[in-house]
Amino acid sequence: MKTAFIFVFIFSLLWTGLSAQEPAIRWKREEPKTKEQLHLFHSIHAVNLPTAETLKKSELEYEISHRFIPTVTADNAYFGIDGPANIRTALAYAITNHLMITVGRSNLQDNYDFRLKYQFYQLDNPAFPVLLAARAGLGWNTEVYESSGKLRDKTDSKNFQYYGQLIFNTMLWKKLGIGVVPSYLYNSHILCVDTEYSFTVGSYLQYYVSALWSVFFETNTTVTGFRRTYNPLTVGIELETGGHFFKIFLSNSQAMNPTQFLAGADLNVRDGDWRLGFNITRILKL
Amino acid sequence: MKAILVVLFASLSLLFSQEYHVSKADKNEVKFISDAPLEDFEGVTDKIDGYLYFENGDFTVNSQLYFEVDLKSLDTGIGLRNRHMRDNYLHTDKYPTTHFKGKIAEAEKTADSEFDVTVEGVIFIHGIERPLTVNGKLTTMDDRIQIQCRFEVKLSDFDIPIPQLMFMKINELMDLRLNFYLQRFDAKDE
Repeated sequence: MKTAFIFVFIFSLLWTGLSAQEPAIRWKREEPKTKEQLHLFHSIHAVNLPTAETLKKSELEYEISHRFIPTVTADNAYFGIDGPANIRTALAYAITNHLMITVGRSNLQDNYDFRLKYQFYQLDNPAFPVLLAARAGLGWNTEVYESSGKLRDKTDSKNFQYYGQLIFNTMLWKKLGIGVVPSYLYNSHILCVDTEYSFTVGSYLQYYVSALWSVFFETNTTVTGFRRTYNPLTVGIELETGGHFFKIFLSNSQAMNPTQFLAGADLNVRDGDWRLGFNITRILKL
Repeated sequence: MKAILVVLFASLSLLFSQEYHVSKADKNEVKFISDAPLEDFEGVTDKIDGYLYFENGDFTVNSQLYFEVDLKSLDTGIGLRNRHMRDNYLHTDKYPTTHFKGKIAEAEKTADSEFDVTVEGVIFIHGIERPLTVNGKLTTMDDRIQIQCRFEVKLSDFDIPIPQLMFMKINELMDLRLNFYLQRFDAKDE
């Protein structure tokens, strides 16, 4: 009888104790493993030069760009906006998160631009992150008048130009993007009898003032080979919002397609000769 | 003698308790929908984890639940918008997850294997905790439970700046919709 009483007493104590305890949860938390892709610049373009960024797989980017031909100081041209203007329109598509293809057209010599960009290296170092990419493409000029005034056959081999670029990007203090782009252009001057080439080193800086606004500077220096009169220089501002980028700038170049831009600019900025330009891009999802 | 009794009652306690863990093999979905001036957009992820615990086959007895969502995995469909969301609004480098901890306060059987439940607890977003009561539906299926619920959070309650699209601010109320599955956990799974 005494043993039974002790048993019931201990049972009651233990039952009360166990009921009052926090349940022993056996679920164990695991640290989430989602790895973000490294991004430095916000856009896939500086202005004329590329950044090492690529679109996300299956995304499209539509681009419309203008370079007003009159300079900002030209008479009766409203800072050049009265035109005429060179216009580029292009569509880019990301085949993977690291590989994208672009088809574009500029009305300057009716130039078609086909290109591939591949991002092949990411260094996710907080102090000195690095992205590396390569871009290769061809330009096809379909409206070329020879010095005699004759319209050249569209498929003439001299109408085709080829280029390759390496793209180095880094970002300091999460604010200052730096890009260096060595480029090789084959057949830089489509009217020369001898085939010309150009080796250039482009560079750009972009400072992100806020989540929406940034300012940038871009130049492309011809190291060796053919160059139209001057090295291109561009300074401007970028507004980024909801998948759009609006870049408005001053430049001494009137070219937008890479095979034309890499061959040099036509205006001397030391004389104050700048022209207005803008690039607008919109990212879309298929 | 006492040791034997402790083991005995601990085993009894386990026998009457039920613990369910998020089933990662199922098609889980955590979605937010934002009402924007030009177009609504949504973010989706399947990266939810956590558990539900209760005893005696009653969702409300000694009930405990904890669910967390990996915010870095939220996908709005556009890479740039994902970056904006992570870097400018959710600050996922500092707050990579959001979680809800609470209990099932009420459960009412509405059909054979369906229950309308009221969950009370605390939600953690962007470094801030707020009390939250959510109504949802539990559907039991053998050793699995489906959870469906929908609720709103106000961005300013969590110190999240209200995003802008083309200069127009989006609605600061985010519509959250969850639909995910739990799998009964057995000690042998450990």
